[in-house]
Amino acid sequence: MLTIEGLKTFGADTENGLTRCMNNEAFYLKLVEKSISDASYQKLNEAISANDLDAAFEAAHALKGVLGNLALTPILEPVSEITELLRARTQMDYSPYLEKINEKSEGLKKLCE
Amino acid sequence: MEDFNRTIGFKRRILVVDDEEINREILGNILNETYDVSYAEDGQKALEMMREKNADFSLVLLDLLMPVTDGFSVLDEMQKEDALKQIPVIVMTSEKSAEVKSIKHGAYDFITKPYDMPEVILARCERIIELNEDKSIIRAAEKDELTGLYTREFFFEYIHRYEHVTGEQKMDAVVLNIEHFHMINEMYGRETGDEVLCSTASTLKELFEKETFIASRPDADYFYLYMSHRENYEGVFDGLQEELSHLTQLPRIRFRIGVSQDVDKTLPAENRFDHAKLACDHIRGDYTRQLSYYNKEDNDRELYGERLINDMEDAIRNGDFVVFYQPKFNIQTKEPHLRSAEALIRWRHPELGMVSPGAFIPLFESNGLIQKLDRYVWSEAAAQIRKWKETYGITIPVSVNVSRIDIYDPELENRLAGLVEQNGLSAEDLMLEITESAYADNAKGLIEVVNHLRDRGFKIEMDDFGSGYSSLNMLTTIPIDVLKLDMKFVRNMHKDEKSLKLVELIIDIAKFFGVPLVAEGVEDEAQFKTLKEMGCDVIQGYYFSKPIPAEEFETFVKEEKKRRE
Repeated sequence: MLTIEGLKTFGADTENGLTRCMNNEAFYLKLVEKSISDASYQKLNEAISANDLDAAFEAAHALKGVLGNLALTPILEPVSEITELLRARTQMDYSPYLEKINEKSEGLKKLCE
Repeated sequence: MEDFNRTIGFKRRILVVDDEEINREILGNILNETYDVSYAEDGQKALEMMREKNADFSLVLLDLLMPVTDGFSVLDEMQKEDALKQIPVIVMTSEKSAEVKSIKHGAYDFITKPYDMPEVILARCERIIELNEDKSIIRAAEKDELTGLYTREFFFEYIHRYEHVTGEQKMDAVVLNIEHFHMINEMYGRETGDEVLCSTASTLKELFEKETFIASRPDADYFYLYMSHRENYEGVFDGLQEELSHLTQLPRIRFRIGVSQDVDKTLPAENRFDHAKLACDHIRGDYTRQLSYYNKEDNDRELYGERLINDMEDAIRNGDFVVFYQPKFNIQTKEPHLRSAEALIRWRHPELGMVSPGAFIPLFESNGLIQKLDRYVWSEAAAQIRKWKETYGITIPVSVNVSRIDIYDPELENRLAGLVEQNGLSAEDLMLEITESAYADNAKGLIEVVNHLRDRGFKIEMDDFGSGYSSLNMLTTIPIDVLKLDMKFVRNMHKDEKSLKLVELIIDIAKFFGVPLVAEGVEDEAQFKTLKEMGCDVIQGYYFSKPIPAEEFETFVKEEKKRRE
């Protein structure tokens, strides 16, 4: 089960996340759980495999917004980096970023079980 | 306004537009307490919701990067629609560069992503809603709904504010009015009337768009313009007249323009426009003039006149009007001697001092008030004749003025006869002066009245003879007892030959008709001697005495009494 303590250990800036949620823990945790199944993760992976950088940027940007608001720092960091690279439509191998993002989001998913 | 917003009893609606559900939920959670929050997941949906009837959103929180229709497109669409344009938008973005761009696209403010503290978001929303509502309330009140020009109060307020900015710049106040505007409404219907007002407003804006200029429609078909000074307004509004003629095809419909130039900025703005309006109304119905300038002297004179009219009745009651007497002398005897007097009214105004008869008599003649004044003089004069008679045992006839309007009074005869009787006088003691121009006015009616008066024994003097337009022929039909030569002949008779000849001629005319001639305005010995030589019978003027109060006049009465003894 997801807890604030668990999120803290995960590395989330829970204080900030909670503030945005008007210090409503249950609400915050509910949104964090919901974020795991955010369609943007999948969109990002698919777009990068298809080398569709426009779509990839859109997905990364959207993800960045949500993760930023929830203050999920460990995932936010690689997402922010990839967003900036995609914004410039940089042609490169994005897999190390994707791996990191997927690894961290998997970690979060585990916390929720 | 703040209190109003806080205490008003309903929640305002906010539309949150974001493609990420989690973001929408976070914002919703923050705003729910205070606002009624609706959500849209893309720009297209958001626009549809805003266009819904009674949508009535007080604020839109808009994400910029969204699939399908992004935030910038939403802003652009909103700018195109009047109803949507009024809704303020706060843009949510994580990029600094997008902030400037969104403001340019019409956003009011922005919230950064990740979101600020909830308090900050709430405070921003509240502030923007408040600003926008204040603005729209002001916008609704400051503009005339029909023409979009300023309403009276805001117009004057803006002039006042504008003053601090322009300082020394010379400004003019201009008032325009559409003459016979009601005819447009009557003949073409209100809609056309409104159209005329609207196109007047828009034509005015076009005409002066390049200058310092502010305009108002304070009332019905009046337009007020406050604009940079110009020396001449001739032709300035021709474009407007053309537009009006084109719209109505009515030849009698036209603009009247009153201008107060280089206004006195120490006066309240309202007064500056009172002046321009005075000028504008001054030429109402005058088809020879379309443009009139305010003139301080005219205005002061008018105000002074108003004051005199207002004070007149009180003055009679308070005895501020005093009757003075100017002696008339017989000069064909060895020594000139007192023959009679003329009663002349003087006004000792408690605040204005001595008011010149030249200021109030023409004024009261024009509005009929002179009638009251005449009656007052008649009764004072009659009482005075009696008093002298009782005191000195001799009768000094006094002539009084009978104004044109008195002639139409059916009670005139009885009134005068009553006065004579009350004071134990005979009718010939109270002599009646009627100006020559009154004869010309209504010869037939006047002859009738004069005949009746003469039948009852009154003596009629024709005043100001030679100044009016009566033909010599009139003298044969009009019954008179004395001719009074207009004073300007006497004044000029030593200055130009023609006047001298005319005096001679009029003296002959009087002789021909067998009536005495009184010369008025005799000021010096030369005039006196000439008139005497020419055979003039009676003289009145400063040479003998100016008009004086009854007490002073007694000196003349005493002398005359002595002479007769």
